[in-house]
Amino acid sequence: MSPPDGIDLTRPQFVGAKVLRREDPRLLAGQGNYVADIKRHGMLHIAFRRSDHAHALIKSLDVSEARALEGVVAVYTGADIARLANPYQATSRMKNYQATFIPPLALDKVRYVGEAVVAIVANSRYVAEDALARVDIDYEALRVLVDPEDALKPDAPKLHDDLGSNILAAREFSRGEVDEAFAAAAQTAGGRFHFTRTTPVTIEARASVAEYDKGARTLTLHCTTQIPGIVRDKLSEIFDLPGPRIRVIAPDVGGGFGGKTSLYSEEIVACAIARDLGKPVKWVSDRMEDLMTTGNAFDEIVDAEIAVDAEGKILAVKADVIGDVGAYSIYPWTATIEPVQVVSFLPGPYRIDNYAARVRAVATNKTLTGAYRGVGRPISVFVMDRLLDMAARKIGMDPAEIRRRNLVNDDEFPYKAASGLVWDKSAFQACLRQAADGIGYDDLRREQETARAEGRWVGIGVACYAELTGVGSRIAVAPGMPINTGTETCNVAIDSTGAVTASFGLASQGQGMETTLHEKILRVAGHLFEAAVEDIETGDGKVWVKGTDTSMTIRDLARALYSDMGRVPKEMRDEIDNLEATKVYDPFFGTTTSASHMCLIEIDPETYKVEIKRYIVVEDCGRVINPLIADGQAHGGVAQGIGVALMEEVVHDETGQILTASLVDYVVPSAVEIPSIDVVHVEAELPNTVGGFRGLGEGGTIGAPACIANAISDALSPLGIEIMEIPATPERLFRLIEAAGAR
Amino acid sequence: MTAKISITVSVNGENHAAEVEPRLLLADFLRENLDLTGTHVGCEHGICGACTVLMNGDSVRSCLTFAVQADGTKIETVESLGDIDALGPLQEAFREKHALQCGFCTPGMLMTATDMLRKYRLETDDDIRDGLSGNICRCTGYQNIVAAVRSAADKRDAK
Amino acid sequence: MKPAPFDYVRASTVDEAVAALAASNGEAKVLAGGQSLVPMLNFRIVDTPIFVDINGIQGLDRIEETTDGGLRIGALARHFALETSDLVKDRFPVLHEAMKHVAHLAIRNRGTIGGSLSHADPAAELPTMAVLLDAKIITARASGGREIAAADFFVAPLTTTLEPDEIIVAVELPGLAPGTGWGFEEFAQRRGDFAVAGVSAIVSMDGQSVTESRIALMGLHDTPVRAHAAEAALLDDGIDAAAAAARLDAEPMNDLHGSADYRRHLAEVLTRRVLTAAMERAAR
Repeated sequence: MSPPDGIDLTRPQFVGAKVLRREDPRLLAGQGNYVADIKRHGMLHIAFRRSDHAHALIKSLDVSEARALEGVVAVYTGADIARLANPYQATSRMKNYQATFIPPLALDKVRYVGEAVVAIVANSRYVAEDALARVDIDYEALRVLVDPEDALKPDAPKLHDDLGSNILAAREFSRGEVDEAFAAAAQTAGGRFHFTRTTPVTIEARASVAEYDKGARTLTLHCTTQIPGIVRDKLSEIFDLPGPRIRVIAPDVGGGFGGKTSLYSEEIVACAIARDLGKPVKWVSDRMEDLMTTGNAFDEIVDAEIAVDAEGKILAVKADVIGDVGAYSIYPWTATIEPVQVVSFLPGPYRIDNYAARVRAVATNKTLTGAYRGVGRPISVFVMDRLLDMAARKIGMDPAEIRRRNLVNDDEFPYKAASGLVWDKSAFQACLRQAADGIGYDDLRREQETARAEGRWVGIGVACYAELTGVGSRIAVAPGMPINTGTETCNVAIDSTGAVTASFGLASQGQGMETTLHEKILRVAGHLFEAAVEDIETGDGKVWVKGTDTSMTIRDLARALYSDMGRVPKEMRDEIDNLEATKVYDPFFGTTTSASHMCLIEIDPETYKVEIKRYIVVEDCGRVINPLIADGQAHGGVAQGIGVALMEEVVHDETGQILTASLVDYVVPSAVEIPSIDVVHVEAELPNTVGGFRGLGEGGTIGAPACIANAISDALSPLGIEIMEIPATPERLFRLIEAAGAR
Repeated sequence: MTAKISITVSVNGENHAAEVEPRLLLADFLRENLDLTGTHVGCEHGICGACTVLMNGDSVRSCLTFAVQADGTKIETVESLGDIDALGPLQEAFREKHALQCGFCTPGMLMTATDMLRKYRLETDDDIRDGLSGNICRCTGYQNIVAAVRSAADKRDAK
Repeated sequence: MKPAPFDYVRASTVDEAVAALAASNGEAKVLAGGQSLVPMLNFRIVDTPIFVDINGIQGLDRIEETTDGGLRIGALARHFALETSDLVKDRFPVLHEAMKHVAHLAIRNRGTIGGSLSHADPAAELPTMAVLLDAKIITARASGGREIAAADFFVAPLTTTLEPDEIIVAVELPGLAPGTGWGFEEFAQRRGDFAVAGVSAIVSMDGQSVTESRIALMGLHDTPVRAHAAEAALLDDGIDAAAAAARLDAEPMNDLHGSADYRRHLAEVLTRRVLTAAMERAAR
């Protein structure tokens, strides 16, 4: 049954429109419902005593004084939680992967500063914190591994005694003959790149409220999570509770960016305590805890080289990656998620015949690393696009030109990238062209010459990337991991009041269930109007017979079907069941999203402060559903990319103490540090996905660090400086400039 | 156990009397004692600005103020700017310009912007960025927030 | 990050405040704006059993002219009041400029000059202004107050010569000669952050030559300091020599936000910029 004429199901009325958001009024009025806002009668509060050692044995633990403090209701140690919760680990079928058990409260050992050791439960957070100092822990310090290269050495202590080494994962990719290509190259460029550790800093820190109904034996967890389904499934195993007896609810969540896509110890502890005490319990992370324990990201060392011919064509790329993944392999993504993506996405949107890459994910005495906006791709693009600029400089070629020569062309799709990923199709060249046009590239190069003559340090940055979005069952986001990320289930139902409810695992749209539902409505209406189905039309919440006044609302139709017995015959009702349809959509391969970033920066030639003066993103995200939202995602992503490029860094000292445990020390950009960002959407040849939609959201963070690093290198090229490490803080630039001056 | 202190605070036009511990932060007093959860806690050291409220008309960090210090003062929180069905003009400007995504920094942004619009001319967008520099947002990249405050400033100046 | 328990008393007069401090045997601390103090309490870096809240003391926030063309500023004067005061702008434009860099509006609405000087962060604007402008810090104490010269007031990071039972009640800034030029430059990673380094200066000129200068360094030493070597070099050899000498006056620390080497570099750069601006303004 085809839909009526005039209704294009791939361009419903709202696609492409700047629809204002329905959730805004309550968020603006201060009526949002975030986990920290939740109150329950008799609710207790949790505070965690956390390790101040990066690597140590717990010799003894005395909580008696803490328990005795007035207002403290209970105290839990690792042994207590081990009796209440089954052990768990993040598994993967990936070869060479070593999983680690993650005790929600430390058992015999602590492995990073901030690891939770004891949970205090009290009648207020204030009192719970008072009790923390009364816990007596005797540690025996072990050798601390802060540098991942130390953790690789044969004499390195093992963080996990049951594992063979500190290498939690290792993979290799190769295509073609890399050594031969390098031997034949006109020019090579490369070195050691260092993308340093970052933390997401959502303004809402993590929080959980857990309740256990003793009568119904049901557990409810309200949680600041981006993955309620995955959390629910794992808690089911951890607590031996079947699915229907656990509910995980993510109400309004104040930012995630991937930092809330992992299962955290505190969530498990809160559930264990709620069940044990039979009382609702709440834990709200404070900012210090957040900076110490929320999944970190981007801690990658990449030794990489590019070989090009005299015309700037890429002959080969090789890379050796060390990913510092922290003390445990995070659930569910495993320690592989970021390091492996670094090498699998490194070839980018470029034509590369010869590629060799190795990656090792190494455990160290630091916070776990997990998913953060862009995952491994910001590093992939940083390395690849820095290599391109370095090669271009060596052969005297313009950076935009070297990309034009190496970006996959429209007529080469589908293109199998050097790491095995397939780009189905995307507007690589058009994005670069439009970015150059949009920023006035040629004019900027002329202005740069004039500025240089005046002694000003002006730089232009370029970065191009490609990623897979909507990846389906064929390519799991973290290969080998038992989680199907790309498949979406949608259920649309019309109830007996005529109200339509659409539920999704995550927001998405699909065509299938609309058609099925439509058919059912037509059949029921056909019967009620005693008209042929071909003569029925629908729209604006009504059904009617074409060309007549005979009509009814969907609400009336729903009542006729569900409530007014006898109006619709039993046989028809048995066939139709409910006005409901469910569709599961597996994109299988997913599709390619890409973008080009360009920027103009100026560096104060005395203080070395970097100012971003212009920034443009030209993105191919397929058919744009809501331009307001799409642009907002680009703005936010670029802002985070700027933070990573210029100021954000998680810093540890040599004993593993975290030095960036406040927002004074972990510096995120404010409105002054972020420029206006031009965003252009190229709705080019649409992919073969439903509706022609591609994914977006991470692109800003993926391209911006590379773009800015290239711009700074461009500005400093008269001094012979190449940016190999970010953030490019004024201090780092000072060191590079001093060294260059000394040469 | 420290002695509790009696306080009377006007919050959004309503007087509240309470006995509180001296160390109770104003942010927690508003959120826990008065169930006004629109004011959010983001850092508890005065950097992120999510907890910003007005005290006697001036924007202040409620995470750096004790409830006992609010005794005898007039406090205004985001809940005083408008209702879900009747948003105030600044809130409308935020909505139109898509100046919020997750909404967590938003109440603080609104209260800071309210004070900025009263105290500063805000001639340029750089002035607006300067004024907002004490409120951190991780979602929006600030661009639309600046546009919303600009729109509100233009309306203010047209009057 | 909730603070530890403490007792709390309110003082409605200076006498009440100093009496409460004296009675506490050094255990009590003053609570004014709290913008520097409360973060430390929330982190539980400091643990103070009793606070004496002085915000209710009337008349302690005035900004008044003195007979020598200077100002007397009450200890409870809020940063925002200084920022928007025409008297400050007129008589001490360098202070007016510095106030724009103090944190953010919400902090400026509450923070006080007395609080900032007592907190004595070497990277903060007001302690540096006090040193630059030869402020006199006027205190009260149950056993009798005193006047402390700014040059003697700051002894170490976050440490002053104030006794535990002594409070600042006012700050006097001696008047500047007409035609005094000024300059202020601060370098921070972000707007409103504590300075990585800052330099401020006032200069008097006679025609083309500098007759007198004061140069103060912010975030470049254990306390705000006068750059005496730079001041001498300016008189003898001019701006570039003064800027180079400022490196010697600085004894910066290494921290996350910058190394000592980089800060010394900034000392030179900012001194040059500040003196150039100051001399230009003096010549007008």
